[in-house]
Amino acid sequence: MTTRLFYDLAGLALFAVVIVLGVPALMGFDAFELNTFARYLALAIVALALALSWGGAGLLNLGQAATFGMGSYAMAMHLKLKASGDALPDFMGWNNVSELPLIWVPFHSLAFTLIAGLLVPAFIGGLIAIFMFRARIAGVFVAIITLAFLVAFQLVVIEQQGITGGQNGLTGLAPLELPGWSVDTYSLSFYYLAAGCLMLAITLGLYITHSKFGLILRAIREDADRTRFFGYNVANYQTAIFCISAALAGWAGMLYTLVLEFASPTYMSVSFSLAIVIWCAVGGRDSVLAAAVGAILVNLLEGKLSDIYVEGWNLMLGVTFVLVVMFMPRGLHGLLGDLTNLFRRGAGKRRGNRSAPTQTAKTGQEL
Amino acid sequence: MDVILNQLFAGLSMASILLMIALGLAIIYGAMGVINLAHGEFVMLGAYATWALQTFAGINIILALPIVFVAVALVGWIIEKVIVQRLYHRPLDTILATWGIGIILQQVVRLSVGAESRFVKGPDLLSGNTQFGGLIMSNYRLFVIAFSIAVLAATWVLMTRTEFGMRLRAVIQNRGISECYGIEANKVFSLTFAYGAGLAGIAGALITPLFSTIPTMGTGLVVDAFLVVIVGGLGSLLGAASAAVLIGEATALFSMLLNDTLGRIAVLAGIIVLIRFRPRGLFPAKTRH
Repeated sequence: MTTRLFYDLAGLALFAVVIVLGVPALMGFDAFELNTFARYLALAIVALALALSWGGAGLLNLGQAATFGMGSYAMAMHLKLKASGDALPDFMGWNNVSELPLIWVPFHSLAFTLIAGLLVPAFIGGLIAIFMFRARIAGVFVAIITLAFLVAFQLVVIEQQGITGGQNGLTGLAPLELPGWSVDTYSLSFYYLAAGCLMLAITLGLYITHSKFGLILRAIREDADRTRFFGYNVANYQTAIFCISAALAGWAGMLYTLVLEFASPTYMSVSFSLAIVIWCAVGGRDSVLAAAVGAILVNLLEGKLSDIYVEGWNLMLGVTFVLVVMFMPRGLHGLLGDLTNLFRRGAGKRRGNRSAPTQTAKTGQEL
Repeated sequence: MDVILNQLFAGLSMASILLMIALGLAIIYGAMGVINLAHGEFVMLGAYATWALQTFAGINIILALPIVFVAVALVGWIIEKVIVQRLYHRPLDTILATWGIGIILQQVVRLSVGAESRFVKGPDLLSGNTQFGGLIMSNYRLFVIAFSIAVLAATWVLMTRTEFGMRLRAVIQNRGISECYGIEANKVFSLTFAYGAGLAGIAGALITPLFSTIPTMGTGLVVDAFLVVIVGGLGSLLGAASAAVLIGEATALFSMLLNDTLGRIAVLAGIIVLIRFRPRGLFPAKTRH
C-alpha cells in the first residue's frame, strides 16, 4: 500500500464517520436540517465528478451542469408521471400537448429512469468528448466548447416547453417509490441514502485515481504529446473519463431532484456550472475527496451565512474564490499537503538535512 | 425583401455592439492569453457609470463616453495590477479568477445601486429614424455602428502605428527578448488590460438606451463576445470584426427564419463546430515561432 493510498483511505474513513455519525448527531436528527445536508451531499457528488476530469485529467469542463441537469430531469420525469397517474402531466395541457411525448413514455419505469439518468449524460458527454478530443482540442478550448454547449443546452430545455416545462421546470412531483420503501426526503433513512451514494461515488473516484487508468490520465494532464508517443490513445482515455464524470454528474442530479422535489432549468445555468468549479477549486481539484469536502463546506457556509447576509454572501463567495485561485491553487487539500511538507522540512532541518527546499515552491504552478 | 433588409440592419447593429465588447476582450486575450470572464462586468460598469452621469450630473451619453472610458479603464488597471498579473503563468486559472472578479463587481453594484433596472435616455440629437424605401434605420443605431468602426480603426492605429503598439507586439512575440531591450512587459500588460476594459466601458455606455441596465447584464454578453474572439482568431483585430458581423448577421437571420431562441442555438452549434475544426479561428494572426 502506497502512502498516498493510505492517506486517501484514512481520509475516506474519517469522512465516512463524520457524515454517517457526526452530522446527524450534530443536527440532533432534525428532519429539516438533515434534508438540507442531503442536498449538500448530492452537490458533493457533482463536484467530485468534476474533480475526476479537471484535477485528474486536466480537462476543465464548464458544462458539468448540463449533465447534472439531464440526470435531474430524468428523475423528475419519472416522479412527475407518478404524480399525474393516468392523466397527462399538468404543464403539458397548458402547452397544448395532447399526447404524452414519446420521450416520456419509458420513464414510467423506475429501472429505466435510473439507468437513463446515468447513461444519457454519459452518452451525451461521450459524444462531446469524441467530437473534441479526436481533434486534439485541449486547454481553454475545452472550457469554451463545453461552456457553449451548456448555454445551447439550457436554451433547448427552456425552448421545448411542452416536453420540459420550460422556464418553470418540473414541479409537483410524487415521492419516489423504491421496492418496499416510499422515500420520505425528510427522514434519516433518506439522509443515509444520500450519504451512501456519496460514499460509493468517492470510493469509485478513489479507485479510478489509484488505478493505472488514473495514472495514465495524470500523464495526459502533464504532457499529452509524450503520453501519445508512449503509444496510448489519448483521446480514448479522455473520452472515458468524460463519460464517467458525466454519469456521476447525472447521478448527483437524480439525487438533487429527490431532495428538492423539483427540477429547474437553473440547474443548467452558467453560474451554477461555475459554482461547481468553485467548490472543486476550494476543496482541491486533485482529490475527489477534497472536492466533495469543498462542495459541502462552501454550501454549508452559504446556507448559514446567506440567512444573515442575503446580498453579502455572493460578494464573500467571489472574494474567497479569487483568493483561493490566487494563493491556494490546489485548494484546502493542497494547503494541507504544503503544511505537512513544511512540518516535515522543519523536522528535517533540525536533523541538519537541508536537501528539499524547492519541492513546495513548485506546487503552485501545476496547470 | 424589406423584412430581410431590416433584419440585416438589426444584425449589423448587434454586430457593432458585439464588436466593441469583443475588441477589448480580443486585445486582452491576444496579448496575455487571459480569458477575461469579468469583461461583461466592465460593460455593466460602463452602463452604470453612464446612468450615474446622466442622472446625477445631467451629462448625456455622447459627452459621458470619455469619462466612462477613463473610469472603467482605471478599474481594469487596478484589477490587473492586484489580481490578474499574478496569474499569467496559469491561463486556466485566469478564467476562474476573472469569474470571481465578475461576481464581486456584480454584487458591489447590486449592493450599492440596487438590483432594479435603470433607464438611460438616448441623446435627443440622434432620436428619430432614417428611411431608405422600406428600410427603417434608427439614427442611434447608425451612430453606434459608425462609432464601433471608428473604435476599430483607432485600435488598429494604436496597435500598428504607435510606439505603445510596437512594444505590445514585441512583448506578445517574445516577452524575454523584449524585456532585454528595456520594454517593461508588466507595464505594457497593465495598460493593455486597462484599454480593453475601457473599450468595454464605452460599449456599456453605448448600449444603455438599447438594453435594460441591470447588474447581471454582462453575463450573457461576455459569452457571445468570447465566441466572437474565438471565431475571429487570436490576436486578430480584423478577424474579430468579421466574426462580429458574421455572428450578428447569422443570429439575426436565423432568428427571422426560426425564432430567437432557436436562432441562438443554431449559432452556438455552428460556433462549436467551427472551434472544433478551426481552433485558431477563421483569421488567425500570423506569428513566427
